[in-house]
Amino acid sequence: MATLTQPASLRAEMKARVPWYLWCCALAVTSVTIGGQWDVSWHRSIGRDTFWTPAHLAIYLCGVLAGIATGYLIFDTTFRKTSPLRESSVHVLGFTAPLGAFLCAWGGVAMLTSAPFDNWWHSAYGLDVKIISPPHALLVLGIFAVKIGALLLIAAAMNRAIEEGCLYGGLQALFLFVAGLTLELAMFFVMEHTLDIYLHRASAYLAVAIGPPLICAAAWKASRHRWAATWLAGIYMAVVITAILVLPLFPAAPKLGPVYQNVTHFVPPRFPMLVIVPAMVLDLLWSRIGAAKKVLVAAVSGPAFVLSLVAAEWPFANFLMTKAADNRFFATGMHDYGTPSWAASVTRHFVAPEHGWAVWPGLSMAMVYAAVSVWLGLTLGEWMRKVQR
Amino acid sequence: MKPARWLAATGLALACIAAPAHVGSPDVYAEGQAGPYQLNVVIRPPLVIPGVAEVEVRSEMPGITGIEITPVPLTGEASQHPPVPDAMTPAAGDSQSYTGHLWIMRTGSWQIRFTVSGAKGPGALSIPFPATALATRTMEPGMGAGLAGLGLLLLAGMVGITGAAAREAKLKAGAAVPQANRKRGYAVMAVTVAVLVSTVVLGNAWWKAEAAGYSGYVYKPLEMKAALEPGNVLALNLSEPGWLEFRKLDDFIPDHDHLMHLYMIRWPQMDAVYHLHPDPVTTGQFQLELPSVPAGEYRLYADVVHSQGFPETLMGSVMLPGIAGRALAGDDAAGQDAPVSAAGPAHGEQRFELPDEYTMVWKVPPSLTAKTPYDFRFELLDPQGKPARDMALYMGMLGHAAFVKTDGTVFAHVHPNGTMAMAAFMMANPQSGMNTAPEGASMPAMNMANAGSGLPSEVSFPYGFPSVGRYRIFVQMKHGATVETGVFDAMCGAPQ
Repeated sequence: MATLTQPASLRAEMKARVPWYLWCCALAVTSVTIGGQWDVSWHRSIGRDTFWTPAHLAIYLCGVLAGIATGYLIFDTTFRKTSPLRESSVHVLGFTAPLGAFLCAWGGVAMLTSAPFDNWWHSAYGLDVKIISPPHALLVLGIFAVKIGALLLIAAAMNRAIEEGCLYGGLQALFLFVAGLTLELAMFFVMEHTLDIYLHRASAYLAVAIGPPLICAAAWKASRHRWAATWLAGIYMAVVITAILVLPLFPAAPKLGPVYQNVTHFVPPRFPMLVIVPAMVLDLLWSRIGAAKKVLVAAVSGPAFVLSLVAAEWPFANFLMTKAADNRFFATGMHDYGTPSWAASVTRHFVAPEHGWAVWPGLSMAMVYAAVSVWLGLTLGEWMRKVQR
Repeated sequence: MKPARWLAATGLALACIAAPAHVGSPDVYAEGQAGPYQLNVVIRPPLVIPGVAEVEVRSEMPGITGIEITPVPLTGEASQHPPVPDAMTPAAGDSQSYTGHLWIMRTGSWQIRFTVSGAKGPGALSIPFPATALATRTMEPGMGAGLAGLGLLLLAGMVGITGAAAREAKLKAGAAVPQANRKRGYAVMAVTVAVLVSTVVLGNAWWKAEAAGYSGYVYKPLEMKAALEPGNVLALNLSEPGWLEFRKLDDFIPDHDHLMHLYMIRWPQMDAVYHLHPDPVTTGQFQLELPSVPAGEYRLYADVVHSQGFPETLMGSVMLPGIAGRALAGDDAAGQDAPVSAAGPAHGEQRFELPDEYTMVWKVPPSLTAKTPYDFRFELLDPQGKPARDMALYMGMLGHAAFVKTDGTVFAHVHPNGTMAMAAFMMANPQSGMNTAPEGASMPAMNMANAGSGLPSEVSFPYGFPSVGRYRIFVQMKHGATVETGVFDAMCGAPQ
């Protein structure tokens, strides 16, 4: 984080330390990120699934860790009169603690509630073979709550450090790290709509236009970092590329049929979307017009995000369809065991591609979504920048 | 809940379940040779897909050291690429019994491959079964209450959090909460309540939409409408009720020589039964000229097998006048008995006197309980009371049996090697040669002592009643050129 920027007026001798509960939250969100990638690969490689797979445990460890850490923080702040956080706390249902702690704890409860719900869902409607289902939505909502709660805790600590004239580089780096993993989660949730075989359709860009611009804008505003969006996108891409490089190192074999592919090792995720391109465009744009009216910034940022993403991703998707991309880095030749040889992802063909003017209504809608998303993100970021408790 | 009540409830639930290959009887009971080992197999398919199938195996002889099971589609490219097999678990206290479970991921025609190792060397056997979603499970009240409680906690928590965010989050440490902030907090909490209520309503709609979408996967048999046409012709019109696209109306394959096996049972007396074989006329249409039948309402159960080995039992009914029709011919069979009554069926041994003075005998097991595998053994005696010596194969087998529950919720057409369709079994075991060799030849337990024709006078059917209740069993065996139909009654109870 050599490029992190801080006001020169802050005193170097007063460094804001990162408290233990923030490390716990960071560990929790890291755990769920690893668990999520591992779980999808598990489903694609081995197939057999129980609640007690290591990947599931890594996911739910997030809820447990965040729940226990912030739960302890809530009880400590509520019942220990000398707690240093007592003066910087809010009150919820009779308890006293920093706002982010409550949101983290809420996320932990939501995640743990989703576990029996998901288990029942499997018994009622079968094992889900898709990511977006009601119990998964509750799980993802819980994970988002943990992440946003962690961001609030960090932001409040960072804001207080600034008030006290302390250096806050560690907190800022941690904020960008957690925000980057939040972006990764947002991209993970729309994974089914952004597969490489769908990248010549407007729907893929519509899916990306909803969440990521909001997260980037909020993080840019709240973190006070010039390259916040770029950092977030870089962290997202680094996580996925790391998964691509690491997962196939471990052996795995399908334990379910039908088997169409000879899988011998964990199947990696698809190559990440080039979100870093629009993220850099947004950072550059905001460094120039970020102080202008939010509506104006959003109106410019929405189209900038979508058009720069399309400009980078559309030709890159062409490359992903070629044999040149069938290697360990881009990993387009590794398919899950249940993908038939005639499937588009194996034959490397776009599914229902859109050409010419047909793509513009969808992209126009994506620009509107992205603009609204940026406006919401800037509003959220402004508020987070002022959070003290 | 006591086991009996639980079983009764299960039975009630099953009564509402349509299962492919049979009606209300989804479990597969089978016998087969895995190399040198004679195996009795029970496959209990999952209620939902993807879901877990439970598998039970019992070997007739000791010496088996392990059994591995693998789920594989019956046909297509994936049938050539089995996943990693699972080792079955030996049952405690019974070295000849094994249990296991397998995930079945897709609707369609599947097989489970059993690979046996033991003192006599390796052996393999494949048992086919149709996998479909059979029903949607409802949420248990306890689970519902628990989730509702957690849901309310989450709702209350989120309202409190947003209120605190609006009221206090931006205040400096130790600062008092201004009145304006309190008002803003209440306003935000009110908005949050509205948003959360809307979210819950939308979430509920989403849940219902998902459930409705899933219900489209729940198995619906082909519809069959029957009508009597001039010339005593029974016309059967098949139609698609709107299930999955892979099912066709023009891809039926012969199952022991016929595209359709039709059981006509007079209802509700169940005192007359016909096993007939309509011929296809055009896509989705079958017909046959009826033999002589007494007047009454008839329940129709028609067994067909699709090209991928997916079996179905189609249901229908027809009201018939008394018909003086053609004589029974070919593989046709018919039988009559007294109407089924509320009286308890006989225990120990039931004897059914046939019109030509032959007798069919059923050695009734001491107890019959639901979901328990049994070998239903029937013997044909000649007029002298001795095992029939002129036994013949009936459509390539020693016998056919139909197990029909008297409330109409269960119908299962069973063969000596099990409940699966023979066409599917041969697809799963192409090496078995069963399309050319009689099944009876592989049945060492049969009574061969007086077998003048070389065939045993006894046949057994592996089967288990799916639910508690009263059943009528129609058994067909052949001697010389005569197909005999014996009728027996059974009462199935709950497990002790």
